[in-house]
Amino acid sequence: MLALLFILFAGLAIGCGLAVVAQRNPLYSAISLIGVFISLACLYVMLAAPFIAAVQVIVYAGAIMVLVVFVIMLLNVEQEERGRPRLKFLVPVAVALSAVLIAEVAFILVSVQEFRVNPIANPSDVGLTHSIGAQLFTRYLLPFEITSILLLMAIVGAMTLARRGGLLSPNARVIPGAQVLPMSLVDPHAEPDDLRPVEAETSDEAARVMGITDQSKRD
Amino acid sequence: MDTAIDIVLKLIAITVAFTVVLLIVAYTVLAERRVLGFIQGRLGPNRVGYGGVLQPFADLLKFILKEDIVPDKSTRFIYFLAPVIATMAALMTMIVYPFGPDITIPFTNITIPLTIARFDVGLLYVLGITSIGVYGIALAGWSSNNKYSLMGGLRASAQMISYELALGLSLIGVIMIAGTLDLGQIVENQSAWHGLRWYIIFQPLGFIIYLIAAIAETNRVPFDLPEAETELVAGFHTEYSAMKFALFFLAEYINMFTVSMLATTLFFGGWNVPFIDAFLARGSFLYGLISAIGFIVKVCVFLFFYIWIRGTLPRFRFDQLMNFGWKFLLPLALFNIFLTATLIYLFPNL
Repeated sequence: MLALLFILFAGLAIGCGLAVVAQRNPLYSAISLIGVFISLACLYVMLAAPFIAAVQVIVYAGAIMVLVVFVIMLLNVEQEERGRPRLKFLVPVAVALSAVLIAEVAFILVSVQEFRVNPIANPSDVGLTHSIGAQLFTRYLLPFEITSILLLMAIVGAMTLARRGGLLSPNARVIPGAQVLPMSLVDPHAEPDDLRPVEAETSDEAARVMGITDQSKRD
Repeated sequence: MDTAIDIVLKLIAITVAFTVVLLIVAYTVLAERRVLGFIQGRLGPNRVGYGGVLQPFADLLKFILKEDIVPDKSTRFIYFLAPVIATMAALMTMIVYPFGPDITIPFTNITIPLTIARFDVGLLYVLGITSIGVYGIALAGWSSNNKYSLMGGLRASAQMISYELALGLSLIGVIMIAGTLDLGQIVENQSAWHGLRWYIIFQPLGFIIYLIAAIAETNRVPFDLPEAETELVAGFHTEYSAMKFALFFLAEYINMFTVSMLATTLFFGGWNVPFIDAFLARGSFLYGLISAIGFIVKVCVFLFFYIWIRGTLPRFRFDQLMNFGWKFLLPLALFNIFLTATLIYLFPNL
């Protein structure tokens, strides 16, 4: 029974993984990747690690991939044209790297066969929430805290990068779904493809936010 | 052999639970139309059957018989997949809720739990499956190849991701008090004080945050911007018709039902009926039955509250929604965690 389920989910994971690479449409790839994550979560459940499984679904399938799908939808990436020679040199690199990976897996498989350990009779409680929490806040406290600092740095970095370049005045607020005005609408001398996201009710207000106060420029 | 019997029993449990829940959901739709009618000073549907009791089945028949129109330039596979994901994610959360305590069937020795599946991370499972549900809406909006749909889908997913944070954080207070993520255990913990040790007493702030975030999470009024009909026609399901539209409709109401179940389970004692332990022994059949009915009644109170809100409040604007979620609800939820931790530290015996 367990072996059957393992074959099912492992097969799903591999199939979806292949689809991630093989699909031409980036959205299909993203959906396949979600399939990989969910199959992996099912495998974690079978390995008596329900907490990791739930976190896998919440963080990867539920949060990160939603953002990826979001970006693909927003950019509306068209299907990649067939046979573009760009990045051709990466193919041998990929082959070499995957050969290394397969060798690693084979090595682990062989060494596991050699040093066979009898499985314990009772399912261990290592994967349960309580034991993970206890370990995380005692033995692995330092790595845990360092990880949170790393995440904080990533957030601050993303904010700094997004705000760099003085595109927006410091008091300008950009809200998802707010109005995006082309610069040429408020400034006839601007480049036609100059898009600056500004939340504004009127063109006058947008001009003020963008720092175009010279009235002579605007007629 | 035992596994086979187990699987059959689980399948029966799933069938019974889903049938009951879907019936309640169907009648929620009717109740919504009747209550809204009452609030707005009109009658609502009352023609099919006595007082309109057969209206849900008439609606279902209509949805099945309508022509199923697929837009020419839609991304067909995803267009078909989206309502399936939405409905499946909505239904899948149902299996972890404890509908009642373990009951012994009369004249036999068989004890069955009134939960389909009970595991260590029940609450995280609910949150995980809920976050999968976003894809149904986002993909529906994208694959329809319609500007209104796309805007609706983007709005819905932005809203759901934003309020998921506040929703998850508002539950952490309860988890800290209960010390477990197992929904069954959380309900058991609330059965002290004659079944009145409800966590709302300890977590009033957390409950209010949860209530608001849950309304936003299910895309209901006053947070129903994804389908704001004055600006977006019908939002992400503009291009969906017939049974596929019905699936989205169903998913929305099942989601309403599941967030109500979660609120009941975490804050209102789950299946604990106050003072029932004075009359009936725990584990008896009648005790289990009354508890299960008590659970359903509590959930229905929440459903009524939803409908009441819909009849009362106007819609937010999108920037108000985002500001409210990120700048008010999220910090408040963080403060609630801090407050709960402090109180647990100061009064560890409560």
